[in-house]
Amino acid sequence: MSTIATAPPKATTSSYSETRRHELRMSLMLMVDGNLVSNARSVESGASARVYEGGYWGFASTSDTSSEKVRELSDLARRNARAMAKFGERKKLQLPNGHYRGEHEYKGKAPLSAGECADRLAQVDAWCGERFKGLKSTRIRVLDEHHRKHIANSEGTDAVASIQRALCTVTFIAEDASGSPVEVTEFLSGKGHLGDIDWSLEALAPRLDALYGHLQAKREAVAARGGLARVVMGPQLAGILAHEAMGHPCEADLVLGGAVTGDLVGKRVASELVTMVDYAHTYDGEEAVIPVYCDDEGMPASDAVLIKDGVLTEFMNSLETSARLGIRPTGSARAYAPSDEPLVRMRNTAILPGQSKLDDMVAGIEDGYLLLRTGNGQADSTTEFMFAISLGYEVKNGKVGRAIRDTTMSGSAIKVLQGVDAVSGDMHWNSGGYCGKKQRMVVSMGGPAIRTQVQMGGE
Amino acid sequence: MSHTIELRTAATRALEQMRKRGFEHAQVTAMATRQDEVNIAHGEPSLLRSTDARRMGLVGIVDGRKAATEVSDLGETSVREGIDALFAAAKSAPRDEANKVSSGQKARIVQGPQESDVALLTDKARELIDFCRRETPKVNLVEAVVAHVLTRSHTVTTGGSELETEVGHHSVGAFGTAREGQATSSFAYTGGNCHDLAGTHASAMFGIDEMARNLEKSIHTRPVGDKFVGDVVLTPEAVSDFLNWFLGQLCDVQLIAGSSLYRDRVGEAVGSKMLTLRSRFDAPGVCAVTSDAFVANPVTILEQGTLRTLTPGLYGSLKTKLPHVPVAAEGWELLAGDTPREKLVSGTQRGALVGRLSMGNPAANGDFAGVIKNSFMIDGGKVGHALSETMISGNVAQMLKDVAAVSRERLDTGTWLLPWVRIGGLHFS
Repeated sequence: MSTIATAPPKATTSSYSETRRHELRMSLMLMVDGNLVSNARSVESGASARVYEGGYWGFASTSDTSSEKVRELSDLARRNARAMAKFGERKKLQLPNGHYRGEHEYKGKAPLSAGECADRLAQVDAWCGERFKGLKSTRIRVLDEHHRKHIANSEGTDAVASIQRALCTVTFIAEDASGSPVEVTEFLSGKGHLGDIDWSLEALAPRLDALYGHLQAKREAVAARGGLARVVMGPQLAGILAHEAMGHPCEADLVLGGAVTGDLVGKRVASELVTMVDYAHTYDGEEAVIPVYCDDEGMPASDAVLIKDGVLTEFMNSLETSARLGIRPTGSARAYAPSDEPLVRMRNTAILPGQSKLDDMVAGIEDGYLLLRTGNGQADSTTEFMFAISLGYEVKNGKVGRAIRDTTMSGSAIKVLQGVDAVSGDMHWNSGGYCGKKQRMVVSMGGPAIRTQVQMGGE
Repeated sequence: MSHTIELRTAATRALEQMRKRGFEHAQVTAMATRQDEVNIAHGEPSLLRSTDARRMGLVGIVDGRKAATEVSDLGETSVREGIDALFAAAKSAPRDEANKVSSGQKARIVQGPQESDVALLTDKARELIDFCRRETPKVNLVEAVVAHVLTRSHTVTTGGSELETEVGHHSVGAFGTAREGQATSSFAYTGGNCHDLAGTHASAMFGIDEMARNLEKSIHTRPVGDKFVGDVVLTPEAVSDFLNWFLGQLCDVQLIAGSSLYRDRVGEAVGSKMLTLRSRFDAPGVCAVTSDAFVANPVTILEQGTLRTLTPGLYGSLKTKLPHVPVAAEGWELLAGDTPREKLVSGTQRGALVGRLSMGNPAANGDFAGVIKNSFMIDGGKVGHALSETMISGNVAQMLKDVAAVSRERLDTGTWLLPWVRIGGLHFS
């Protein structure tokens, strides 16, 4: 990928424009019971241009990243914006001004070769087969993903940004007493590539021992009781709670779409124990897993404090949503692939740690659940959210009991967050998943353990 | 045509380079996709997006060791570097006798609209906007897209397979909410692919009009109230959620891991006699070739509830000794039943008309629990109030057996052609 900027034409009073060169490198390896089912790599390079003119946007992209092609793209994007005039005259928004100049590239350890990864997969697989009796299947998946973007805009932005994250998951499958499959998964994710996260056998071994223990418990799992229940969500769940429950409803495009949060700024939406922030690039003095110094519109990125001590404070936004709502820009517009246009997206969304201890929080539950692992989740304009529970336990009289079968938990975010009565001092970040919203997106999410009341799916 | 020749040249040249590099077996796909897309945001026309993307997929096997790579720069240097890296990745992979490439497959598939007409896309976007303003003014069309997509590909293998495709389609999708005062509905979305965009009003496509009308009826909601065991009438979109789980059970990873519930069930009744599931690999937006370079011929998966086949790819088949059944990435239909759609509801004593399920992936054993969205209470055979904070739970494998009625009517979204389905025995909470 070239590092030479091809700046779009200087803005006229009537238009704004941006260009992005974007390279996305990925590798994915999947081993199923010693069989290397996937051993794949990809490099997707492209350039895009976007123009705002006459109240409309035009966008164009190509796999050809030559300077000449990028200039042609700007023309095509402008023609596209003008073609939208067929819909009639539209009021032009006064987009916020802002520009960023700088280079941010993560320098991690030396990457692992495909061969080193294949050997490591085989080693972990063999160790699991030897150590854990009764496994029907073991799946080990490793993935890394590296985005490198060169963004320029008509306001003077000229920035190089990179995002790199890696993921390792191990899934154990066994059978329950009726012969039905039961599975549990351990996730390890972090910044950088597969050489930067520690998925050595030594590092994985204690986690896999614990995972096998959960698998044995889940083979005798019981169905959760459907209905309202008091729960402790472990630190690995707080991030998805932040992301789904109030993250999405605080994206300004969804606010414009009618999300109820639009009427709640300055109002109490959560317990005063809850503070929630979408971090741009730095958390607690360290660079976040998904560092966004300037977004894909070229706007300098800043933290968005969504909830402060239980009160809804602000939204994440793009140039357009900032202008429409008359709120400060946060630099939250991001595009996943070279051919994607920027949309309002979360970056590193977290509920901040509190003072409680996880053990004490569990001890305080008379009849409820301890929820430890999740799958995918979904938000809604009403703030009613859900996410899957792939590992959890009953809690009776403060003691952890039987495992529960896979289920889903849900609730109104406002009721759930207002019901929070304890927040632990832990902090767990997870950056393994994708967020889906027209395009998929790499995000990270974090938080402590949280005690509250939710709806459990079940009998 | 020149673009087609260009892809063929690129693919055959790369295959030759791979041979020279030392690969014993190889597969190359050169692909180009062009898309024009008119976007609506918050009920207003917003963006015209044009994309032109190329990529080349390379699969190489040396000494029984396999790797795959994909590059978007089809230039000679980029492809050569890709092949070199691929060779190193393959050489370091474990040897596996099941690693093969397709041989003897020949096809040229040309279907759907080959040219984009931006004026037509614009007209259809305007129809959506005008419909919502006129017929469903409480609806905020948060995001809608009208697009033309043309994907051309040329695949060659060292086994002599040669597959050429030029597949065009239009797509229309809408995502919205409805609002009255400070009350907001859940969001809803629908959409699909078609060949002929001009012939039908955009709002009448893929159930968009019905979705918008139902959004206005679901601004004010109530929870279901108490726990009970009842019926669900699933809309086609909700049906597709469950069929996706079922189809996933028939594929390579589940079969190789031995975790598929259906691994040894071919020839057995695994669903209601009302269920016949078969392919429609010639549907709009669907291409009847597989990623491992086989022609996907028509196939029936479920015939009156009896499982007729599993769907392992070449690798899965060689690994498990199960018959190889090539299937396209998508394109399925559930045959219509004989019950009018309204009778599905009138035959339900207590339950819900379920528009969408918000849930995690069902568990390996089929267990699931999900929040029902865009859904309405059914009591005494009549559709009642819109629901909120209501969950259902059950087991997908059991639900396939418990289907009580299938509608005469079906919704065609291109990749799916599905009826409405009534199923009993779900837990509401």
